[in-house]
Order: sequence, then structure tokens, then C-alpha cells
Amino acid sequence: MTVIESVVNWIEGGVINSWVVGSAWVWPTLEILHFVGLSLLLGAIVVVDLRMAGLIRSLELTAVTRLLPLAGLGFLINVTTGVLFFFGDPARYSVNVGFQIKMLLVVLAGVNALWFFMKIEPQVQHWTPGSAPPLTARLVGVTSLATWFGVLLLGRLIPYIGTG
Amino acid sequence: MAFLVWLEQTALATWVGESLYGYPFLLSMHVTGLALIVGISSVINLSLLGVLPVTARDVQGSLLRLAWAGFAINALSGIALFTSQATYFVTSAAFLSKLLCIICGIMTVAIIQSRCRSNRSIGRVLPAFGLLCWLAAIAAGRLIAYL
Repeated sequence: MTVIESVVNWIEGGVINSWVVGSAWVWPTLEILHFVGLSLLLGAIVVVDLRMAGLIRSLELTAVTRLLPLAGLGFLINVTTGVLFFFGDPARYSVNVGFQIKMLLVVLAGVNALWFFMKIEPQVQHWTPGSAPPLTARLVGVTSLATWFGVLLLGRLIPYIGTG
Repeated sequence: MAFLVWLEQTALATWVGESLYGYPFLLSMHVTGLALIVGISSVINLSLLGVLPVTARDVQGSLLRLAWAGFAINALSGIALFTSQATYFVTSAAFLSKLLCIICGIMTVAIIQSRCRSNRSIGRVLPAFGLLCWLAAIAAGRLIAYL
């Protein structure tokens, strides 16, 4: 038995699995919350990333970074609902190529965000207002945009990709 | 009804409903547009409610253009998706509710924009109503597949 198979076996029939698939309203409610979460995450992160990438310069930098808790809230909602989706149908998600690439992109976006918080954000207050951000900040902004929109698209395409 | 039947037989509807890539491509566009229009207007609405720090000047500029771009993507992808099952969608309560919520949400964005431009006060009712409209639009949209 592979690792994936044993994880699937462990989840199936467990308490969380039974709750998610147990009544008809749980899945659609989780989907609605997942869409709300993605709106908050993407809405906030797009503004931050476009400012970091230098594509919108009119916004005040310190104001922009204060949008990040909203992105954090969206991410929290989507990790929670996402884990519940996985527990609801582990056999389908674990072998789905679209889902696997999506998770890889989430990790990449996470590493990129960590880089932002450690290296970029502490410097933001020293930048000249209205000027182009440093090259590293622009790279982090573009990487973040690319990875999160990748996550968004692959998530939507899970039913259509790599299900065999 | 004859118009809707005709719509379902157009080349566009056939491409959406029967080609390998049509439907997933449009769904991808639709979720991208959703993230922009709902996401950006939520940032704007939460700022107007005092939760986030974006100012009225920001709201008028690039942010609003981005929100409208999202709406344009979704109007176009939405119309294309609609053609594939037009006769079904007009009978779906969830779809009709979604449409109503979008009209209300978009009107909220437009009113906030015009008030920002003429420096009139916006208050808290409009942004709160806007947030509610988008939440309801998402919920109704998801439920189309279930009801």
C-alpha cells in the first residue's frame, strides 16, 4: 500500500469524512465559503502585489501593507474549507494532477510570502513614496500574482484535469 | 423563449457546451473576474466601513478600474456560459437570484464611484449592502448546481 492509499484509508470513514459527506448542505456551504475566501485573498493580494510590482504607484505603501490581514483571513478560510474538501473526498483529490499542482503552487506562494515578510516588508517604510519599488520587491510581487492566479485557475479546473 | 432556443443553437453555444476546452476555459475566466470584481469591491467596501485603510482617492483610481475589468470579464464569460443552457438558466431560481444580486452589487459600485467623484459622503449603508450583495451572489451562483 502506498502512502497516499494509507492516508486515504485512514480518512475514509473517519469522523470528519462522515460529517462532510453526511448531509447534503455541507459541501455546497463549504464551496460558498471557499469562494468568499478566495475573493478576500485575491482581492487584497492583487492590490498589494500590483503596488509591489510597481504597476500601481498612487497607493500609499503603508496603507497597502495593512490590507495583508484581509488576505490572511481569506487564506485561513480557504485552508480550513480546503482541508474539509480533502477529507470529504480524499480518493479523488489525492490522485488529481490539477490538485497536486495547485498544492505545489500554494507552497511556492507561501515561500514567496515568507520572503516578502522577512526581507521586503521591513524595508517598505524607507522607500520614496511614488517611486518604483526595488527589483526584489517587484519580483516578489509578480511571483505572488502568478502563483495565486495559478492556484485560482487550477482550483477551478480540478474537475477537468487529470482525473483519468 | 424562441430567442433562448435560438441562442442555444448558435455556434458560440455549441462551442461552450460541446468542445473540450470551451466550458473549462470560460469557468476559469469567470472565477478570475469574480476574484477581481468581488475581491476589489470588498477591499473598497471594507475601507469605507473603516476596517481597511484605503482612501477615497484610491477608490476612484486604479482599484476601481480593476474592479470594472473584473466585471467586464464576468459579463462576457457569463453571457457565453449562459448561451449553452439558456432555456434552463431562465427557469433556475438560483440563477435569477444571482443575477439580481449582481445588478444590486454593480449599482452599489457605480453609486460609490459617482459619490467619490463628486466628493459627496458615502456613509456605511452602501458599502455594507455591497458586501451583502456579493456574498449573496456567490452563494446563489454556487447553488445553481444544486437546486
